Amino acid sequence: MGREVSESCVDSLLTEIVSTYCNGFYANKPELAARRIEAIGYQVGHQLSERYTMERPRFSDHLEAIKFICKDFWSELFKKQIDNLKTNHRGTFVLQDNRFRWLARMSVDPSSENSSSPQDPSTMAENKAAQAVGMHLYFPCGIIRGALSNLGIPCAVSADISNLPACDRNNITKRNFDPCLVAPLTAHCELS
Amino acid sequence: MIVCVAVVGHQSFTEADDALKLHHIVHCSLDVVDERVNNPKKSGPLNESFLGLLCPPENYKVYGYLTNTKVKFILVTTDLDVRDADMRNFFRRFHSAYVDAVSNPFHVPAKKITSRTFAERVSTIVKSLG
Amino acid sequence: MEEYPEELRTPPVALVSLVGCPELHTLISTHLHSEQPPINTLALPDFSKISIMAKTQKDTSASGQAAGILKRDWLLKHRTRVPAIVAALFSSDHVSGDPAQWLQVCTDLENLKALIRGRNIKLVLVVVVQSTSKHDISEDRMIALRKRAEVDSKYLINFVPNDALDLQQSLNRMGNTFAELANTYYRDEGRRIKMRLERKSFSSIELNIRYCFKVAVYAEFRRDWVEALRLYEDAYHVLREMIGTATRLPAIQRLVEIKTVAEQLHFKISTLLLHGGKVIEAITWFRQHNASYRRLVGAPEVIFLHWEWLSRQFLVFAELLETSSAITPSISFPVSGRADRLTEWELYSAYYYQLAAHYLKEKKSSLELALSMSEAEIDGMAESVVPAVYVGQFARLLEQGNTFSMQPLTDEDYIHYALAEGKRFQDSFEIIALVKKSFEMYSSSKAQRMASYCGFQMAREYFAESEFGNAKQLFDSVASLYRQEGWVTLLWEVLGYLRECSRRLGSVKDFIEYSLEMAALPVLPVAGVLSFSFKECGPAGPASLAQREIIHEEVFGLVRGQSSLASNEGNSSLKVTGDHPIHLEIDLVSPLRVVAATSNDQSVHRVETALVLSLVTNKWLRLTYDIKSEQSGKLECVSVIARMGPHFTICCRAESPASLNDLPLWKFEDRVETFPTKDPGLAFSGQKFTQVEEPDPLVDLKLVASGPALVGESFIVPVTVTSKGHAIHSGELKINLVDTRGGGLLSPREVEPSSSDNLHVELLGVSGLECEDESKPGMENIKKIQHSFGLISVPYLNVGDSWSCKLEIKWHRPKPVMLYVSLGYSSHSSEPSVQKVHVHKSLQIEGKTAVSISHRFMLPFRREPLLLSKIKPVLDSDQMPSLPLNETSILVVSAKNCTEVPLQLLSMSIEMEDDGSGRSCSLQHGGKDLIDPALLVPGEEFKKVFSVIPEVNVSNLEIGTVCLRWRRDSGPEEESGSNTAASEVLTKHRLPDVNVELSPLVVSLECPPHAILGNPFTYFIKIQNQTQLLQEIKLSLADSQSFVLSGYHNDTTFVLPKSEHILSYKLVPLASGSQQLPRVTVTAMRYSAGFQPSIAASTVFVFPSEPHFKMAHIMASPESIAVE
Repeated sequence: MGREVSESCVDSLLTEIVSTYCNGFYANKPELAARRIEAIGYQVGHQLSERYTMERPRFSDHLEAIKFICKDFWSELFKKQIDNLKTNHRGTFVLQDNRFRWLARMSVDPSSENSSSPQDPSTMAENKAAQAVGMHLYFPCGIIRGALSNLGIPCAVSADISNLPACDRNNITKRNFDPCLVAPLTAHCELS
Repeated sequence: MIVCVAVVGHQSFTEADDALKLHHIVHCSLDVVDERVNNPKKSGPLNESFLGLLCPPENYKVYGYLTNTKVKFILVTTDLDVRDADMRNFFRRFHSAYVDAVSNPFHVPAKKITSRTFAERVSTIVKSLG
Repeated sequence: MEEYPEELRTPPVALVSLVGCPELHTLISTHLHSEQPPINTLALPDFSKISIMAKTQKDTSASGQAAGILKRDWLLKHRTRVPAIVAALFSSDHVSGDPAQWLQVCTDLENLKALIRGRNIKLVLVVVVQSTSKHDISEDRMIALRKRAEVDSKYLINFVPNDALDLQQSLNRMGNTFAELANTYYRDEGRRIKMRLERKSFSSIELNIRYCFKVAVYAEFRRDWVEALRLYEDAYHVLREMIGTATRLPAIQRLVEIKTVAEQLHFKISTLLLHGGKVIEAITWFRQHNASYRRLVGAPEVIFLHWEWLSRQFLVFAELLETSSAITPSISFPVSGRADRLTEWELYSAYYYQLAAHYLKEKKSSLELALSMSEAEIDGMAESVVPAVYVGQFARLLEQGNTFSMQPLTDEDYIHYALAEGKRFQDSFEIIALVKKSFEMYSSSKAQRMASYCGFQMAREYFAESEFGNAKQLFDSVASLYRQEGWVTLLWEVLGYLRECSRRLGSVKDFIEYSLEMAALPVLPVAGVLSFSFKECGPAGPASLAQREIIHEEVFGLVRGQSSLASNEGNSSLKVTGDHPIHLEIDLVSPLRVVAATSNDQSVHRVETALVLSLVTNKWLRLTYDIKSEQSGKLECVSVIARMGPHFTICCRAESPASLNDLPLWKFEDRVETFPTKDPGLAFSGQKFTQVEEPDPLVDLKLVASGPALVGESFIVPVTVTSKGHAIHSGELKINLVDTRGGGLLSPREVEPSSSDNLHVELLGVSGLECEDESKPGMENIKKIQHSFGLISVPYLNVGDSWSCKLEIKWHRPKPVMLYVSLGYSSHSSEPSVQKVHVHKSLQIEGKTAVSISHRFMLPFRREPLLLSKIKPVLDSDQMPSLPLNETSILVVSAKNCTEVPLQLLSMSIEMEDDGSGRSCSLQHGGKDLIDPALLVPGEEFKKVFSVIPEVNVSNLEIGTVCLRWRRDSGPEEESGSNTAASEVLTKHRLPDVNVELSPLVVSLECPPHAILGNPFTYFIKIQNQTQLLQEIKLSLADSQSFVLSGYHNDTTFVLPKSEHILSYKLVPLASGSQQLPRVTVTAMRYSAGFQPSIAASTVFVFPSEPHFKMAHIMASPESIAVE
């Protein structure tokens, strides 16, 4: 791979996307902002999957494609493989990354903690942080969804964080992906 | 001579030559691609991208290539004496050109590739094969 | 394949000639034919016919140079005229008959021998032995016969037709002999010619091929398929070498001959391979055959012959493959590393049919071209041309008197002949039939793209033949696939045909639809448009923007009624007129959806008309309508009808913007602005319908309940309707009582819900319809009152008016109940049925018991009857209270106010149940009835004392029912108001039954009501024996600290029947106050039951000194005792 990009650039870009959409375009419509960010991710994932699957044999089933996402695709994007893959064998896969790189350097704006309401400052701050982090997760979710759907697996991807980086001294970020495959077997990608 | 190179995605269609007949040939060859993908036993043990000769060499030879993302490359050539190795090589190069083209953020997935650079690269690759 | 001669199509079968004895021929032929391998017979009835087998005179004029490759009739000759064996059948009668007969036999045999002399044909003698003369055959004659015939003894067969067993044996022997001999014959023949091949003793290459062919055929006769195949292949290869070297014939005919022979050889090879199950080899062989001859197109004038030939190759192979795949259904596909490995379609005969059609089409077009080039009259010159002696050659038959002679043709003559022949055939139908076959096969094997390509070709052929109906149908199905898969260029072409078809068929609507679809196709602005050759593309021309523009103009011109197009159906032209208005429906599945599904507006069962609309490409036009909703419910935009020109409308089903889902890529972000809704949120989730709510009711509906309801009373709930914003027309009040614990029925478990006794809560009615100008009787307005449901009409109310009524509800059981009242009315007087406004109110009302009634039995003071039932061990806890017979018992009934409001108690009485059998007990209450109502504050208890004397000794004595009349205390100020006083309520409480028994002993204590400290008094204990028995009584008296006592402490006495025993004690009180008398315990020995008077009964108050008060009434009033 010839061209490389500084990680900080990626981080900054993500931050900027989120802030532009959340505070600029759709300041008062967070769901819409989320949708837009997810759509950007979708296209990026769509195109990246094209590149990263180039030199490999075709996947014979969905599990193989998911494994590809877990290992190679994840490594390309996030510089490590995922830590745990679970499935209920009914189309739901849970991908767990114990140290998700794109959130590793995130921290919550301290000013929001100061301005928190009198009731319970710590939980308020946590909620706010969770919201902010959640916003930053739409982009990677979109990437995964775009990649999977380009591999012929239409799905829904959602992210879940149990520990916030700001709250955790060890900086361990847990996150779960939960792609619910929408009727994977009938996902017939008719090509023309 | 390679008369046609087609990229068949979910919706898209890009070709080097526009003759109607070639459209038909490429379209029909997709049936073979389906057949090969659905019956992997027949097409050999590996899920190789390169599908080899698709249609009996009647006037044209039709070669196919299927990416992981279910995009098909179909090559139609009048050249009856082609080695598989050359074809493989051709498709590999073509694939990388394709990937570069669709990675353009202004390319809309599943729409026709309008990139001029892509067209140039393709014609270079085509020429190199002869 | 059908056009091949029979002898070529089927494998050769050995031929045996039967001569003589014609009556047996059928029998023998049938048997031989059913042999394995079968043998054909050439049956000649008598020996005069044997000349048919005679050798034909060889035409050896050009012995050095063969005139052709294969003789046309050679194969047929060996199949039908040259037998391997001649079987001479003689009757045994003739053989052993008189000399004349024998002589005849000998002559016949000689003739036959002469015929086969020099040829390898085997001779077999068959002597038909009639069973009767079985033993008459002379051995000598037989030997003589054999000698004459010069055959081995085993080739002389005795044939016994008359006996079944013998016949079978004879037949079998004959069959075996024939088979063996035939084998030998064909092997020898083959070997003979093979020798020539091996020695290369042939003068020309043609002979080489011919020899190979012959050897192969002989091998086939012997069923030696391997050898046959090898030699056919040899022949084929040699033949292929002939091309370019042979000079014998004029160039065109030379090639024709070679191809024809090659075709035959190839057919043989393919057949052998396929029958041997070698499908892959056959296909590979065909591929080579095709490859080596496809380029040999020959002279351009007769190129159509080449295409015809090639087409036939494919057709024949397709048929062969089809028949063989029917035999061997599963073909294992070889996974071979060969570069030229077979592809899938080569295994399908559909592929070959398709190509056969393809080449036939080539033939058709080149034939048309050739015909147009040669305008000279060709028919006359071709008349006398016939197939020549050799396969693939033609010659002119010249008639010279009675003799015919063949004259070779020049190439020019041949061309004329070929053209004339070519004209005779209708290739189009042949092409359609072939493609159809292929189409069906592809369809059944789910190769839908191939199938639709075939369908397209078929349709095009129909189109060329001007069968537009058929064509259109096929094109339509093809178009749907292309449409679905988004192949614009192909779709364009098909639509072009469709458009043309519908124009020719005069279907204006279809024409417009197809045109609109074409005009909207996203045709790519390709630079190299000119790479389309116009010949290739359909009637719509190349798919280009310019062409699209033309179609667009044309269809809009038509639609506006400005222009018309010529149709060839009749003389009419396509035109949109008032007589033939066009209305297009566009729904979700219509292909035109892409074209027009763009504008959304709303219309509710009516047409909103917009005057001028102009739709811009790829932009959404926003139409805004003010819709006044007159009805609540779902308001949906169903369709939009656009009108273009005077007589053309498009009806477009409306779609939700949300259902127009594109890829949610950020790339399309700017398009959001042009979506039909401005709100970007709605652009994604917008709906085409909306919910129209009811108008807000401007009416007050008030329900008031003054606290909880009391069981038994008729509870009043006032309902007030006040109009605040609009008048109320035809109002209706619906009242529902619902158990709060669910369930509409108030007493679901009761059997008869109609009886009011079973209802827990009941709607009694509506009263006090109070309106200012209310003059009508209230009951008339009540439409319907049921136990839990009521419907009341509300009079017209003007704005600001109010109306009220009172609901009367009665509780039979304490139960909380929901009262639902809903008012439905219309705010306009004009259309009362259209739209009702509804106001709902509900109120939960508790139902409570007003008074709780309890009772208590007491015995008379200091009188203790011995009740045996009390002594017995009590088994069940709720034993009935027992009352002594003929003794006075005291009944205290108390009523407690359980409510939170004061109540007035009007009266309390006990009603005896009069069952006609006389009084079972006497009941009377002391004191007077209440004159004034007693006020009972919440929690207060009212008591009344009754004395009961049971007079009948029964185990279940009904005491009666307590009847309590009460009412709410409405306070002193309301009491003056006459009718507002709450109505009386009667509460009944049935007293439980009691057990009456005769007490054998009654102990009564007698002492003064009070004592004075230090003053002695007498304490009597009276024991009354009420039985007829002598009673032994044990008596004990406990000491008491407060009294000094004289008399026995313990005693046993006998009480006589019906008498009384009196014990008297003198007591001196030692302490003042309420003091416990010495307690006496009486034990009846007969019943071994002891009893003690209660503590209360044995208490006496001791005054310190003589009190001074009148005590006359104290003893007399039992009431005061009871109340204590």
